[in-house]
Amino acid sequence: MSDTPHLLLVDDERSIREPLAQYLTKQGFRVTQCGDAESARARLNAYSIDLVILDIMMPGEDGLSLCRHIRATSETPVILLTAKSEETDRIIGLEMGADDYVVKPFSPRELAARIKVVLRRLSAGGTRQHAPESGSFSFAGWVLKTGERALVDREGVSVPLSTGEYSLLHALVTRPRQVLTRDQLLDITQGREAAAFDRAIDNQVSRLRKKIENDPKNPAIIKTVWGGGYTLSAEVTRL
Amino acid sequence: MIPRRLPGSLPGQIAVLVAIALFVAQAINFTMLLRERQQVRFAEIIAPSVTRVVDAAERLTSGRFQRDRRTRVQLEPRNPIDPSARHRSDVETAIRQGLSDAGLSAGAIITRIDDVSPDDPRLKNLSAARKQRIVRRGGELHIAVEMPGRGWLVLHAPWPRTERGLIFQLLLQTLILYIVVLVPVLWAGHRIARPLNGLAQAARHFRPGEPAEPVEEAGPSDVRAVIAAFNALSLRVNAMIDEKDKMLGAIGHDLRTPLAALRVRIESVEDDEDRAKMADTIDEMNRTLDDILSLARLGRPSEPATDVDMAALIDAVVDDFQDLGANVAFEEAARLTMHLRPSLMRRAVRNLIENAVKYGGGAQVRLVPEARAVRIEVADRGPGIAPDQIALVFDPFTRLETSRNRETGGIGLGLALARAIVREAGGEITLANRDRGGLTATITLPR
Repeated sequence: MSDTPHLLLVDDERSIREPLAQYLTKQGFRVTQCGDAESARARLNAYSIDLVILDIMMPGEDGLSLCRHIRATSETPVILLTAKSEETDRIIGLEMGADDYVVKPFSPRELAARIKVVLRRLSAGGTRQHAPESGSFSFAGWVLKTGERALVDREGVSVPLSTGEYSLLHALVTRPRQVLTRDQLLDITQGREAAAFDRAIDNQVSRLRKKIENDPKNPAIIKTVWGGGYTLSAEVTRL
Repeated sequence: MIPRRLPGSLPGQIAVLVAIALFVAQAINFTMLLRERQQVRFAEIIAPSVTRVVDAAERLTSGRFQRDRRTRVQLEPRNPIDPSARHRSDVETAIRQGLSDAGLSAGAIITRIDDVSPDDPRLKNLSAARKQRIVRRGGELHIAVEMPGRGWLVLHAPWPRTERGLIFQLLLQTLILYIVVLVPVLWAGHRIARPLNGLAQAARHFRPGEPAEPVEEAGPSDVRAVIAAFNALSLRVNAMIDEKDKMLGAIGHDLRTPLAALRVRIESVEDDEDRAKMADTIDEMNRTLDDILSLARLGRPSEPATDVDMAALIDAVVDDFQDLGANVAFEEAARLTMHLRPSLMRRAVRNLIENAVKYGGGAQVRLVPEARAVRIEVADRGPGIAPDQIALVFDPFTRLETSRNRETGGIGLGLALARAIVREAGGEITLANRDRGGLTATITLPR
């Protein structure tokens, strides 16, 4: 990977693509743009692309199909641009191995932050975490479904979570048995919806405990680590 | 025999009406028959009897009366007939009339009808033919006429008791008619009613947007035509809804794309405050667009209903508001499992709280489980709504405070969408002003 990450921006809408490319260039990325899947394939072959930003809704071959192609042929990470009404597309996209998504209309800042997170994760770990967002996680009798952002108990009753609760639980469930400091948790969760999550982590943890622990005063799932932070002590299985 | 209430069904109503009509027709027939019989009786019995009595009276007055056992009219010293309720005033009148026509005057005239039973002792000595005639007639007319100073003229004559036979005849005829007419009428009614019931069923269960089996065309041709028209109508409705959905998808896409472009472009605005305001405006437009699309698509929601903890659902929504710094409180409630579409219901609750925060500066939310229903109350201490305006606020795009800016006014979609969601779940939203100012919005859901 060179110093400036090389992004491929695929969107049929010039009105979005061009100013976005401009913005990302200003943020220190090298950006190659194209308007359809076919030319995107050509660019992928021609250049060493570090990350693809992909619009789902495109005339001709759509983003999902291109995403599948990229996943089948390379390790290049993909961030999807979706509309809210394409919720099922988004879930399919994540299941197909997209690394993240943003919902239109998105803030370019947030997109840039997500790009950095994905790139950092790759350069740090070396191996790409396969679609960390997607799928369901089972722990201590609960199932966290990322597609629908729902927590389901043993009897199949769905327990809705607020945005903050979901972000925190997702952070913990994807890093089981790791001790996460409050700072780390803030970092991880703020990458998502920053505005919706500025209350103290402790507050969110106690809310979550009320919902999932048998005895919230004596927690068995989300444990407090002395002087450190929090850890999810249950066995997590990816479904 | 007229039923207190006509039956509701088509065959039932036709059957009852036909039965009544048949009965009336039979009654008219019967009356005419009865009148004819009476005329016959007058000619056969009353007129000869009167003639006999008058003749006997004339003879008695002129001294030519012979006491002869064989004549019909006998002279008795005393009245042998007990007056009874079964007297015939028509006969009495006719006799008096006949006597006065002949220039005679009589005292009391007494008549009486007796039944004759086949084993009457008086019939024993009569010939078989005569006996049979009297028995068939069924009755006997006794007449006694007082001739002042001379005694009583007494006459016995057979009296036909035809009414009884007639009634029996009428009943039998009516019964036969009923069977002959009502069976085909009921059958025809059934043939019309059954396909109509099927049609009503299909119309009741018709859910726009869901492809439905066409109703089978059956019954008479006009009913078939109605069913065919209904089938065509439901196809047209579904085609229109499909078109609407496609159009909405296109509108959504076509509006979101420029919004997204705008959102990217404002990043180059230098002034932080300006940029934040622009971003807010774009978010607001996007939310409104979401609301419009959800409201328009609600007829065919894509989200399946699942078991959801209602208390956690409200708590999650309230938590999101608290995260944004809104003054929203939720009285903690026990776990309450309900079967519904969670994101849509979340949207409905959120819209109500959003209104309370916008107009009332905050909200107190309560979850009240009852035996057969669950109430979700969102109360605020805002200005409330004038009672005559309460019904209006549910209309999409109604905004009471037209003078206010977008920030507080909203576009009026929120309540309409919330109500549509709640109604789709079988519930209802009501608004009521609170005692000491403010408004309570209540979602009532069946358990």
